[in-house]
Amino acid sequence: MTRSHILFLNVSGIAVSLVLWEIAGRIVGPSLLAAPSVVIGTFLDLLFQGDMLRELFGSLRQMLVGFGLACIIGMPLGALMGRIRLVDALFHPWVSMVVVTSVAALAPLFILIFGTGFEFRVAIVFVASFGYIVLTAFHGARGIDPKIVDVARSFAVGPFESYRQVILPALFPYLITGARLGLIHAIRAMVMAEMFVLVGYGGLIFQSGQELSTAPLISYLVSLMAVSILANSVLGWTGRRLAPWYDSKMSR
Amino acid sequence: MNAKLELRNLSKSFPRGKADPIHVVGDFSLHIKNLEFLAVLGPSGCGKSTLLRLIDGLLPADHGHILMDGRDITNVTGGEGRGMVFQSFDLFPWRSTLKNVEFGLEAQGVARAEREDIARHYINLVGLSGFEASYPHELSGGMQQRVGFARALAIKPEVLLMDEPFGALDVQTRDILQNELLDIWEKEQKTVLFVTHSIEEAIYLADRIAVISPRPAKVDHMIEVPFERPRHEAIKSDPKFLEMRQEIWQILKSGVQV
Repeated sequence: MTRSHILFLNVSGIAVSLVLWEIAGRIVGPSLLAAPSVVIGTFLDLLFQGDMLRELFGSLRQMLVGFGLACIIGMPLGALMGRIRLVDALFHPWVSMVVVTSVAALAPLFILIFGTGFEFRVAIVFVASFGYIVLTAFHGARGIDPKIVDVARSFAVGPFESYRQVILPALFPYLITGARLGLIHAIRAMVMAEMFVLVGYGGLIFQSGQELSTAPLISYLVSLMAVSILANSVLGWTGRRLAPWYDSKMSR
Repeated sequence: MNAKLELRNLSKSFPRGKADPIHVVGDFSLHIKNLEFLAVLGPSGCGKSTLLRLIDGLLPADHGHILMDGRDITNVTGGEGRGMVFQSFDLFPWRSTLKNVEFGLEAQGVARAEREDIARHYINLVGLSGFEASYPHELSGGMQQRVGFARALAIKPEVLLMDEPFGALDVQTRDILQNELLDIWEKEQKTVLFVTHSIEEAIYLADRIAVISPRPAKVDHMIEVPFERPRHEAIKSDPKFLEMRQEIWQILKSGVQV
């Protein structure tokens, strides 16, 4: 299949669902499911009125703090766990526990510890993305071809230089992939956390659901999806630009 | 006897949990003369790659010594006049041709401008001028191994260690690179230790062939190759060549259990 074939199928898939959605929306009415023809008007109103995007970007800024912390701590930790058994033995159980635990289940505990403000949201986002970032870096570091490390040794490169010259570049695509996975989970956790304490964008979504106004609710969801996909693509694009040699190894 | 590189009673075993350890290299001794091209020939799995890794210091030896010009370099990892060419090329995928060739020089702390001059010289020598900025994934297998040669040559090693460098290439590429290796060897005046499982390759390239018997690896026969240099493809169909191939095959066969 050529690129244009794929694009055509992508677009027609979306078009078919839009038609079905329109039909369903007209049958059940806007308090249960607003049809796309209604949503588009509401969406444009909300977009130009400005509150929607302001809330969204406000929430994303806080999310970036938690996500950034998860990257700064998680990437080196994962890389060390992958190369040094002692570090792995110390931290792996914790990382596994964090990954399998539903973040929503942790929210009540975190509210008790951190309150309902900034710290709470950062903590939730951190926990949601941390495990994915660590584990991707861990598997990347473990999977580094020992032969390529041998090349460095053969040229009498010491362990520290070898880390900088061989391990880090070999790890780079995994760090990018981990960041992308982490980012998706961070955004999800952000919305979830805000719905608990009814602030920010998550709060906005929750309230419009309560008010039985599905047109704004769907508009909020669409913006959230668009921004998430955009952020994910930007990270992917950056990774491919910085590491053209690993294009084939990176998930899109 | 002026040995460039001397291996004295090298041995290496690998533990296997509760089972007896595998004795891969046992009491291995060999003299490699200055500027000679020595092929180490043996069947797959006979321990010849392990031997090369011991010589390069990538694996510690259990016993024995490695002497370079009489200087003990046993268990010194890399460097010390050794340059290694790897079977699967093992270039750094994030480095361009130029940067791959510069790798060893960077490790030695050679200044940037000088590094680049040296690297360009060897890239030119292996016939890759114009591909300095290409990344390994943009090069064919044969071209990648040329980069591998240049990378090893750039640090001006006294002894070039080659671990089945053509093993991963197709026959045509292999033949071409064999001739180029001989060219480079004449120009650069190197001592070469060349590991291979191909009888033909060993006869065509080497001055002497150490035929290895497996498990533990030991020199079974040492064979002088009588053909004059420079050598050309034509000798491969010379009756003497074919006779020699047959002879070595008989030796190898007796040691191989399939």
